[in-house]
Amino acid sequence: MITVTGVGVALPGAESAEALFAAAGPDGVVDPSAVLGRKGLRYKDRATQIGLSVAQRVLVDAGLLADGELTVDGTRVAVVVSSNLGNVETACRVTKTIAEETSRGLSPMDTPNASSNIISSEVAIRFGLHGPNLMMCNGATSGLDAVRWAATLLRSGRADRAVVVGIEPDNEIVRSLVGERVADGGAAIVLESAEAAAERGATVYAVLGAQTRGPDLAGCLEKVAATETDGPTGWFVPAGLQADSATLAGVARHDLSATWGHLSGALGVVQCAAAIGRFRDGDGGPVYLTSGSDGDDGSAVLVLRSPATEPVPA
Amino acid sequence: MRIPITGVGAVASIGRDSTEVFTSLCAGRSGLGAMRGFDPSRFTAGRLYEIDDRTGPAPDRTLRATGFLLDAVGQAAAGAGLGEDLSGIPVLVGTGLRELRSAELWWRDSAAFGADRLHFGTALRERFGAADTHTISNACSASLYALALGADLLNLGEADTVIVAGVDSITESMFGLADRVQPTPPTAVRTLDANRQGTILGDGAAAVVLRREDLDWPGGRLWGRLRGVGLTCDAKHPTAPDRDWVAATIRQAHAHAGVSPRDIDLVMLHGTGTPLNDLVEAQAYAEVFGEAASGPVMTGIKSMTGHTSGSSSLLSLVVALQVMATGKVPPILGLTDPIPEADGFRLVRDAEAKHEVSLAEVHGFGFGGINAVAIVEAP
Repeated sequence: MITVTGVGVALPGAESAEALFAAAGPDGVVDPSAVLGRKGLRYKDRATQIGLSVAQRVLVDAGLLADGELTVDGTRVAVVVSSNLGNVETACRVTKTIAEETSRGLSPMDTPNASSNIISSEVAIRFGLHGPNLMMCNGATSGLDAVRWAATLLRSGRADRAVVVGIEPDNEIVRSLVGERVADGGAAIVLESAEAAAERGATVYAVLGAQTRGPDLAGCLEKVAATETDGPTGWFVPAGLQADSATLAGVARHDLSATWGHLSGALGVVQCAAAIGRFRDGDGGPVYLTSGSDGDDGSAVLVLRSPATEPVPA
Repeated sequence: MRIPITGVGAVASIGRDSTEVFTSLCAGRSGLGAMRGFDPSRFTAGRLYEIDDRTGPAPDRTLRATGFLLDAVGQAAAGAGLGEDLSGIPVLVGTGLRELRSAELWWRDSAAFGADRLHFGTALRERFGAADTHTISNACSASLYALALGADLLNLGEADTVIVAGVDSITESMFGLADRVQPTPPTAVRTLDANRQGTILGDGAAAVVLRREDLDWPGGRLWGRLRGVGLTCDAKHPTAPDRDWVAATIRQAHAHAGVSPRDIDLVMLHGTGTPLNDLVEAQAYAEVFGEAASGPVMTGIKSMTGHTSGSSSLLSLVVALQVMATGKVPPILGLTDPIPEADGFRLVRDAEAKHEVSLAEVHGFGFGGINAVAIVEAP
C-alpha cells in the first residue's frame, strides 16, 4: 500500500492543502524567496525557484526535513518532478539572443537551465536526495504520471520515499504557447509505503487506490471503477472538460484549471494536494483525479482514498 | 532478472537503422560535418554530428526529433514482430531536450508548433495508437533511466511488453550556450584522449522492445537480456559529474544484475570527450573494477555519433547487443594518447576489434548528476 504523508502547496494566495481546496482563484503571486531566502536563487529560472520552495514545504510537512537536515536516509529518497513548460522560456529566449547578438551575447548562467531536468536535479542538490531522479515532461497527464512513477519506484524497491512535485511557471513565452495565463505555481506530495510511514510514525493523509492510463477518459474511469469497491464522492476533472458532460453524473466536480489557470504538467499533483484539502474539509469519500481529455494523447486516472475510510488491517 | 530484448532500432548521423549505424561504427566512419540547421555566422564552432534529413528551402524545420523517434520505435517494433499497432503497450521515451528545438523555431521564426508536441505522446498516438506513453526528460542518461522504469513495469507484472526509446535533436540553445564558453571549439569528440577538448552534440534515436521473462516467446529475435540497471543522483552540482556517485551507480548495477567486475566483457563508455566526464568515468571505473579493470574491452560511440544526449546511452546499449551478435567491437576514433587514468584499460582504438562478449556494461551520465548504468547479457 502506497500512502501520501506530506503535502506542500505554492499557488498564488494558497500555501496549504486546505487553502488550495477552498480558494476561489489566484490572489497575488508566489514568492519563492519567502520560503527559501534569497541566497542561491538568482540564476535559477522561475519554475526551479517555485519547485524548490514547494519541495522544501513538503519535506518539512512530512517530517523528512527538520532544522535544515534530512531525518531519513537521503540515498533512499527519489525525486519525481512534472513540468511541461519549465524551461521553454530559456530555450526560446536564448535562441532569439543568438539571432540578435550571436552566441557571444549569451550568459553561461543559462547553461543548466537549457536542460529540462533542471528542476528535479536542483531539488536533489538542495536537499541531498540521491535516489532515482525523474523529470516528467509528459503533456496533459504528466502530473498523474509522475505520481505513478514515484509509486513504481517504491514498489520496485528503488526508493523508500519519493518527493513528487508538479510546477508550471508563467511568462510571456509560455502564455503565448498555450494561449492562456499559466498557474505560476504548483504543489508537491511525499509518497511512502505504509511500512516506511509506520516505521517513523508518519501521519498518513491519503492512500493511493487504482491508477490507469489509456486512450480515452471514459474507458479509464470504467477500468478504475471495476477495481474500486466504493464509488467516488468527488471528481477532479481534466482541463477543458465540457460542463454539460454526463460522465460521473451526481458526483461533486472540482475543476482546478478553471480556478487557477493553465496547470498543464502540475495538474495531477495539484489535484492530489487539493484532494487532501477535501478530506480535511470533512468529506472522506474516495476521489477520482483525472487528467487528459479526449483531445489529448491519453487520459490518466488516479483514485485517492482518505485514511479514515481505509479498512483496519486484521 | 533476465528480461528478453526482442527488437532494436537506431537512427544517427552515420546510419538510418541499427545495421547501418553499426556498420559505420565498425568502419570508423564519423558523422561529423558542417553545421546544417543553424546559421554558422552566429557561432564559433562550425561542425556537428547532425542527421542529414532536411530537404526544404529553410535551414531547419520542426519535429525532427519526433521523426527520429518514430523511425527508431518503428524499427524495433517491426523487428519484434509487433507491427504498427502498439495500443496497450507502454512506450517510454528518454530525452534530454524533447521538442524544444521546435519551440525555438516557433518563437524565433513563428514556425507552426503547439505545446501538445513538446512531448512525444501525441505523435506516438497518431502513428502507433499508443496511449500509455511517457516522455522522461532526464538529460544525457534519460534513455537508460527509461530502460530501468520499463524493466520495473515488467518485473511488477504491470505490462507484458514495453518499448523503451531515447531521442534527441540538437537545440540551438544548448549548442549556443556550450559554444559561448568554448573559445576554441573541439575539432572532434576524442573520448579519453589527453588532448580532448570537449564534446560535440549529435542527433540520434534508439529503441528496444522488452518482454516479460516468464512469457512464451512472442516472435522476433532474441538480441540479449537485460540483467539490471542502477540509478542514482549525485545531488551535488548542476553540470559537473561526481566520481563517488558514478562508482556507486556501477556497483548498484552489478548488484542488481548479480554480477561482479570480472564477469564483464565489454564496457560501453559514456565518453563524452569533455575533460571532466572522461576523467571521472575512468576513475570511477578503475575504483570499482580494481584488478579486474584490464579485463573488459572498452569502447564508446561518441567519436562517430557525437553526443546524442538523451538517446546516447540506449544507442550504446543497442551497439553492445550488436557486438554480442557479431563479435566485432567498433573503435574509438581520435584516441591517440589515452589519459594516464586509463592506463591498463583495454581500449579499442583506430580499427574494429574481434571479441566474444557475453556480458556488457553500458554507462549513461547526465546534467544534474543523474547516473544510470545497465548490464546486458548475450542471448
